[in-house]
Amino acid sequence: MMDASIAATGPQRIGRKAAGRHSPSPLPWLMPLILVLGAFYLYPLIDVFRFAFTNVSLLGTDEEYTLQTIVTTLSKPELLQILWVTFVFTASSVVVQQFFGLFIALIVLHSEKRRLFGSTIVRTTALVAWVVPGIAGGIIWKMLFNEAPFGGLNSLLRLIGVPAVQWLSDPHMVMWSVVISNVWRGTAFSMVVMYAASKAIDPVLYEAAEVDGANPWQRLIYITLPQLRTAILVNMILITIQTLNTFDAIISLTGGGPGRATEVLSLYTFNVVFRNYDLAAGAVLSILMLTISLGLALIYARFLPKGEPT
Amino acid sequence: MRPLRQDRIGDALSYLFLAITFLFFAWPLLWLLSLALRTRKEIFLGVSRLIPKAPTLENFGAILSSDKFAGYLWNALILSSCSAIGCLIVALPAAYAFSRFPFRGKGAWMMILLAFQMISPLVIMVPLYRYMAALHLTDSHFGATMVYIALAVPMVTWILKGSIDGIPKSLDEAAVIDGCGHFSVFWRIILPLSAPGIASAFIISVIAGWSQFLVPFLLISKESLMPIGVGIFQYAGTQNDSSLQLLAAACLVSVVPAIIAFLALQRLILGAMTEGAVKG
Repeated sequence: MMDASIAATGPQRIGRKAAGRHSPSPLPWLMPLILVLGAFYLYPLIDVFRFAFTNVSLLGTDEEYTLQTIVTTLSKPELLQILWVTFVFTASSVVVQQFFGLFIALIVLHSEKRRLFGSTIVRTTALVAWVVPGIAGGIIWKMLFNEAPFGGLNSLLRLIGVPAVQWLSDPHMVMWSVVISNVWRGTAFSMVVMYAASKAIDPVLYEAAEVDGANPWQRLIYITLPQLRTAILVNMILITIQTLNTFDAIISLTGGGPGRATEVLSLYTFNVVFRNYDLAAGAVLSILMLTISLGLALIYARFLPKGEPT
Repeated sequence: MRPLRQDRIGDALSYLFLAITFLFFAWPLLWLLSLALRTRKEIFLGVSRLIPKAPTLENFGAILSSDKFAGYLWNALILSSCSAIGCLIVALPAAYAFSRFPFRGKGAWMMILLAFQMISPLVIMVPLYRYMAALHLTDSHFGATMVYIALAVPMVTWILKGSIDGIPKSLDEAAVIDGCGHFSVFWRIILPLSAPGIASAFIISVIAGWSQFLVPFLLISKESLMPIGVGIFQYAGTQNDSSLQLLAAACLVSVVPAIIAFLALQRLILGAMTEGAVKG
């Protein structure tokens, strides 16, 4: 350890001194990245902010700077409903994915330790669901939720004598159907993160707890969960943003309906721009989406342990 | 005696939970496969024909032999592999610089890169659509590829930086002493040694490109240029209950390539992903 650090400081100091002369700048190496992100990410992003102050539409070229778009878009009565739907969808997806992912990870680890059969199969199946493209996932679940007696879930329910459920046409049920399909696709990510983080916990902690006579429940509460704190928060940030931006899985499953029961903010923005051709209002909604993601990320980040390099 | 009994109960509960989890994740795909193998008559029999009495590959035949679907698959392959290659070309030098060069504000740059990932593609697609139309890059694979690259490149750069960090610095220092410039260090040492990281970054971006929907949906309106994600969405809109078996087959065809690519390189991909997620 000591030798390595001395060796590492040596050339670096020389490098610093030589920096003025011929240590190359990183700029040429970063240039392709900067160009691509600048042209296809940053420039449109800046344009979004400009559009928000105009009345530009997708078809016409009439552009006039005005604050009117912002006012009317944000005061539309349906916006509140959309935000509520987005909140329910995102919050329940994130909570379920986090718990379910953690739970599977712990069970899989436990099974590996006890050499139980099947943990690898379960892990792999969950991961396969994760690779399924969003659009295809929506179509697959539409077949499962099919309310005809031959639908993939209703015919299963009939088999065990439970009455059919109106998965997609009942406006109260449909939200949970969408959440279920989203959990199916998204849980694997949490599982992978939780699995890797649990594996990284120092086994000495568990040995010490065992000596002290802690039962499995206590080990979970006093060792595993506190040790996973950072991983859980990072995971929460990532899946929240992912869920907030989900829209392909919903467009192919319900299209936002029935009525507006599953029209989340991202789908609403999409509809405003590409169905109503209202580019300026879409820009305002995009900024709203961005603000929500950013705000949530900052709130989560406040709970991250400070000082400790992660 | 007691711990033994406790272990047994724990094992039984674990098995129960594993079984439920397996069913939840596997059922949709098994159902899809079951539907795809049925004849039109058997569709209406539901779960009672989970294993069809007269399984048929006709549906796959019908899907794969239509020019439309072959085209969708081909376009998806072109778009996702070209964008994955493009991603590597853009991200590799940057990852090398982030891993090896001392420069000011490096941490901040890495965080900014990550912040890009927080922006929904939908946000930038709003102006990008007009911008691309003005440049005549709509209805072109080149235009779509560039946007794919921009969307995937922050994550790929992070993954590649992680794998280059794993190569001992003493190796490139030795090469510098032997008279190698930065470019030849990059070319002769970093590239070959980070091959596993490059492979997993490549596959991750191919899979991400394969599942792209929004970008091609907005930028490509010519059917002959559409990738599978958009194609299958359009196709699903035109189907009804009596052609469910065809839709299921089409869906399976669109899903299987991504699954195979993932399963073949599962270990590599997960290693690269978790390295980024846990450390970052």
